[in-house]
Amino acid sequence: MNGRRVAIVGVGYSTVGRRLGVPVELLCAQASVAAMQDAGVTPRDLDGLVIHSFVPEYVSAFRTADMIGIPDLGFFSSNADGSAYSMAALIGAAAVASGSTDMCITLRPIMQSTATGASVERQAAESFVSGPNEFLAPYGDISGAHWAGMYMQRTMYEYGFTEQMFGALAVAQREYAVDNPEAIMRSPITMEDYLASRYINKPLRLFDCDYPVDSCSALIFTTEERARDLAHKPVFFESWAMGTVNPGDFNLVESMPRSSTYAAANRMWAKTDLKPADVDITGLYDGFTFITLQWIEALGFCGEGESGPFVLEGNTRRDGKLPTNTDGGACNMGRRHGANFFIEVTRQLRGECGERQIPGVEVGAVSNSVGGFTACALLTAG
Amino acid sequence: MSAPPSTAKPRPPFPQSEYYSAFFWEHTKRHELAIQRCDRCHRYQHWPTPVCRHCSSFDLSPAVVSGRGTLYTYTIAMQSFHPYFDDKVPFVLAVVELEEQPGLKMVTNIVECAEDEVTIGMPVEVVFEDVTDDVTFPQFRPVRDAS
Repeated sequence: MNGRRVAIVGVGYSTVGRRLGVPVELLCAQASVAAMQDAGVTPRDLDGLVIHSFVPEYVSAFRTADMIGIPDLGFFSSNADGSAYSMAALIGAAAVASGSTDMCITLRPIMQSTATGASVERQAAESFVSGPNEFLAPYGDISGAHWAGMYMQRTMYEYGFTEQMFGALAVAQREYAVDNPEAIMRSPITMEDYLASRYINKPLRLFDCDYPVDSCSALIFTTEERARDLAHKPVFFESWAMGTVNPGDFNLVESMPRSSTYAAANRMWAKTDLKPADVDITGLYDGFTFITLQWIEALGFCGEGESGPFVLEGNTRRDGKLPTNTDGGACNMGRRHGANFFIEVTRQLRGECGERQIPGVEVGAVSNSVGGFTACALLTAG
Repeated sequence: MSAPPSTAKPRPPFPQSEYYSAFFWEHTKRHELAIQRCDRCHRYQHWPTPVCRHCSSFDLSPAVVSGRGTLYTYTIAMQSFHPYFDDKVPFVLAVVELEEQPGLKMVTNIVECAEDEVTIGMPVEVVFEDVTDDVTFPQFRPVRDAS
């Protein structure tokens, strides 16, 4: 990557739960303070803030910085587009690399209601549906779980994947969650449990879906020089990339099994000398289980059409070739919209994960989203 | 912004006839499927937009298409996310690739087909559902050999 080397020096979560009934600003403040405490810095050390939040829960970067007491912002940005937390992460990392900010906090607040019944119904219940929904809602294509069912179906068709291959990821992730006190879903599940979970949009099952919650996540980035003076062993960005395809609507992409995940992955690998074989641990977006499988292929950890058997053989588990989503993933941590992967891989690279620590990890890969827009990054232990 | 009364029969999420897309719904009312096409490079694009994504021309016109295509993917929608679909689940939500151009896709429903007979790659043809006097949705059904 060009520019200054970027370090992750602080991570933090707000309180998390179902329908907490608190303002999103409070969650932003909690996550920010947690990340600052983790890094051992104060608001006076920060001069950058990037936040990602989709409409209708848009949160202002400036007002958030004002609230938490950052005295003077050299760089701030509110992003309401693209691949969720990783947008805030990559914008923030690019801003540190370019010298626009020396210490930048990046945030992803997300409310359960954004993605579940009430809000979806409110959007669709309007007599008139604007924009792309004009060509989606009349057919009942309303929730992410709708295109997800169609991605999963096409993936099974092209690659001959079985339901058990997706179930194996759900079961493996829950095994990690059992050992993670911060996970929400911590009861062990079996393949039988997976196959007994109800279909949302067949072949997509309830256990293929992440778990909507109210939460905010925060990470703090700074320069290598500043990082060396802080509390934790720094974790560095080795490479990062966004990727898109055109047409880019989730439903209309040219290839559902090979979506913009490949564009982002190829771009990320082009900016580093490291190779897929160098990666010890991954945090690969699991808004729906098939997305994690697609990233395993796109990032080159196995060949195209091989992620199903790869997961079924246990390779994403603790003793497998590629421990993946070791915090339990968003299916079990709750929908942090990408931030949990950056936080968990950072913690693993620091070596502070206790029961679920994977020994000897030095390189980690993280990713976010699927379809038209995606992003991924490579992180290394300092 | 209030929700429809619970006793009223829910209306479908109606399409909005916007500046670029009004033609689409005017054609469906006449039981025609029309897709936006570039006057200069003759490529189709769906859904309609202000500019050709291939050659940047603003000269775009509706073109009536055959209504035939193949099923790219589908899902059996089991859960209603809107009151209009409460008595319609399970239904088949699908992406169809139209025969006029590789990659020219649209979201639709597959009708007149048993759930277990829906298969990716099967030939399909358009059929029109008149939802109200003013709104007609294009849907697709399997092509029958007899036709």
